Amino acid sequence: MRFTSERVQRAVSRRSSIQRRRVASIASAAIAIVSCDKTITAPSASLPAIEASSTDSAAGSWRMLVLTTPDQVVVPDPTATSSTAYQAELSSVKAAQAIMTDAQRTNVQYWTGAGVLRWNEIERELVARYNLPPAPTAAGSYPLPDAENPFADPVFPFSNPPYASRAYSYVSVAQYEALKAAWYYKYKFNRPAPSKVDPGVVAAIPASTLPAYPSEDAVLSGVTAEMLKLLFPGALEEITRKAGQEREAAILSGRATASDVAAGLALGKAVAALVINRARADGMGAAAGSPVMWKSLSDAATAKGEISWLSQELPIRPPLLMNFGSVKAWTMTPAEVTSLEPEPPPSTSSDQMKADLAEVKKTVDNLTKEQLAIAQKWNDGAGTYTPPGHWNAIAAPYIRDARMSEVRAARVYALLNIAMHDVSVGCWDSKMKYFNPRPSQLDPSIKTVIGLPNFPSFPSGHSTYSGAAATILGSLFPQGAASFDAMADEAGISRMYGGIHYRSDIVQGKAHGKRIGAWVLNYAQGDGVN
Amino acid sequence: MSRPLPHCAPTRRLAARVSSTARALAVTTLLALSLAAPRAARAQTLEDAELLRPRELTATVMYGHDAWNAYWEGALKRNNDNIGTLSTNSVAWSAGYGVNDRLTLLASLPYVWTKASEGVLHSMQGSQDLSVMAKYRLLLTTVGRARLKILAVGAAGVPTSDYTPDFLPLSIGVHSKSVTARAAAHLQDEMGWFLDGYAERMWRSNIKLNRVGYFADDQWIESDEVAMPDVAEYRGTIGWQSGAWCVPVGFTWHRTLGGSDIRRQDMPFASNRMNFTMAHAELMYWLPGVSNLRLNLGAAHTLAGRNVGQSTTIMTGLTYALHL
Repeated sequence: MRFTSERVQRAVSRRSSIQRRRVASIASAAIAIVSCDKTITAPSASLPAIEASSTDSAAGSWRMLVLTTPDQVVVPDPTATSSTAYQAELSSVKAAQAIMTDAQRTNVQYWTGAGVLRWNEIERELVARYNLPPAPTAAGSYPLPDAENPFADPVFPFSNPPYASRAYSYVSVAQYEALKAAWYYKYKFNRPAPSKVDPGVVAAIPASTLPAYPSEDAVLSGVTAEMLKLLFPGALEEITRKAGQEREAAILSGRATASDVAAGLALGKAVAALVINRARADGMGAAAGSPVMWKSLSDAATAKGEISWLSQELPIRPPLLMNFGSVKAWTMTPAEVTSLEPEPPPSTSSDQMKADLAEVKKTVDNLTKEQLAIAQKWNDGAGTYTPPGHWNAIAAPYIRDARMSEVRAARVYALLNIAMHDVSVGCWDSKMKYFNPRPSQLDPSIKTVIGLPNFPSFPSGHSTYSGAAATILGSLFPQGAASFDAMADEAGISRMYGGIHYRSDIVQGKAHGKRIGAWVLNYAQGDGVN
Repeated sequence: MSRPLPHCAPTRRLAARVSSTARALAVTTLLALSLAAPRAARAQTLEDAELLRPRELTATVMYGHDAWNAYWEGALKRNNDNIGTLSTNSVAWSAGYGVNDRLTLLASLPYVWTKASEGVLHSMQGSQDLSVMAKYRLLLTTVGRARLKILAVGAAGVPTSDYTPDFLPLSIGVHSKSVTARAAAHLQDEMGWFLDGYAERMWRSNIKLNRVGYFADDQWIESDEVAMPDVAEYRGTIGWQSGAWCVPVGFTWHRTLGGSDIRRQDMPFASNRMNFTMAHAELMYWLPGVSNLRLNLGAAHTLAGRNVGQSTTIMTGLTYALHL
């Protein structure tokens, strides 16, 4: 009896010790799962400097878009490289390079050859930071962001998709114009890079034959900072610091002296001023519309026998930038904007609309894991860099892998963002013309898995942006054309998975976008770029 | 040597009436209450320093209902008419097993569903995170006329479904794996009054979203991976138990060790700095005439917070014990 009891006790004890060991091993496995390095590194953070595959020496003759001629802004003649003044500048470069810190080395790697790409990343971050809708006041109204008081609540700007598309386009166009002018002067004056003049100057990347005066980095810093300060005035400090770092990198990389930088900075700022003149007169100031306009849009839809769009936010919020369709497009007259627009959507009382509505309901209530992932991947909603920003991000590795010169990279972004701004104009004009309700308005039992945009449904903005972007990028990077088109389809259908668009919005939107994309490619024809 | 009575387990008087094996089973409620549901249920725990008796097996089912109509956007307390009242319901199944006098193992799995009373956002539901916990008694001693017990507790959590963490506040959780270490103490006098408390730290794994990037910590992060800040939690409870009754009340302080605030008019995000201070009360009662079955009731209310809703939670459930 006692013997049996001891055996049982030993067995119990053995069992519990096994269990203890199991617990310990589960716990240590779990610790291994969570104790790894949590640092998130953006894929572009550690990219090496870019050595352009071509100097694009003819870029000074590429067609201007806003400026009349590349020498519209006068750049003074540089001093000779044999001059005492220039020799003193070379000595300063060498002296600065001799005491370069690790942070400065990192900064040189960050900027060299990649100014257009870096500024595009910075702008996307600014768009994401400022892409939050104004909060309602206690009285239930929505104050407008005020550019003269950007730090108030609401902060300025609210960089929603139309605002962002316009901002990307102004920065890209201004950069493109300034760099073409810079290239014009570079090859007019032919002042070599400092490291070519003096072997004592260290070149961060092998020095090309690209002339140094005016410095393209300084041009970019000047033109971009001026544009961004207009568009994101609350970020002045960050913008100014980045611009300064870019100019410092130009000198420390052995690619520019103080006079190359000074001439470039002045040219960049002067070109920005010309582009800003256009921006101040493009109608953006009236894009928010008015209560009177809102009522007339709604009444017009009702008069046609259609159910008119209602804001489903509480308090009721005016449709986003209801007058953006009147903002000046880059490549189209108002009549041309209209001519490219889609046919009207199915009537809200049609069988087609009933079928479309039922499809949305069935889809969002039976969403697969993959469909939810697609809806989230392309959501690009509040707090993100918007669909135009997403397409800028998609273009970045193609530009980088092609090792484009700064001026050629600027052209890619100029064409892409011109197209997406013009999409905003055309798409918003259509949206307000038809004032079509969202699925969740026609059927309140439809709930969404992404945020519901507060503006009319037809056509889908995502689909229109994506159709245009895929057309532009597919033309500039033919090797990616099939992939861009597939992405555009995925971006479009993501809106039905999200529960916020009918299939007809998506199909017509993409076709509209492709028409605008083709229109912009036609506009670029004969611009002198091969 | 007299065997110490677990608090909130049957007293000797009750134990004589019901099965003695029913003692100490209440401990599973801890896990059901503390690990069920996204955060509402974490508000309440019972008997943090409790252990099951050797070879005791318990099963608990708890239903929880949590609701808020005000939340903190960073430090700003506000309502949102596009959410109305956000309610979170959960049913959590838990099991506990007393390996020996010193070691108790627990497991819990809640099913959670959320809904907003206003607005257009879709409700979410699913099986949430499986939690396992091991509680080990380090010390048992007497202090004057009271008994002091010190425990080391380790826990791990892992999501059991592919629910999305990228749809807060309707997401049913944040989809992070976690490991928790906790030190707990329990002091009980002969009259049935007790004090207990714990301090814990939870380490959380990074999570993946279906995104190209996100804005957090005042910057755009071009990645689908989100670093989840760790969490510290502290709890203090005072209570009384006698016969079939046990009533603990207390406070919980929950602090996320990093993360950023919800920006003005932004949606919440999984790695936000979610902090709260909560008051809670529970009542446990051994059902008369039914062996080994206990009724558990709990309520909690958030007093202060940051990047969380001001929840009020009620929970109810049953615990059943079996001696193998």
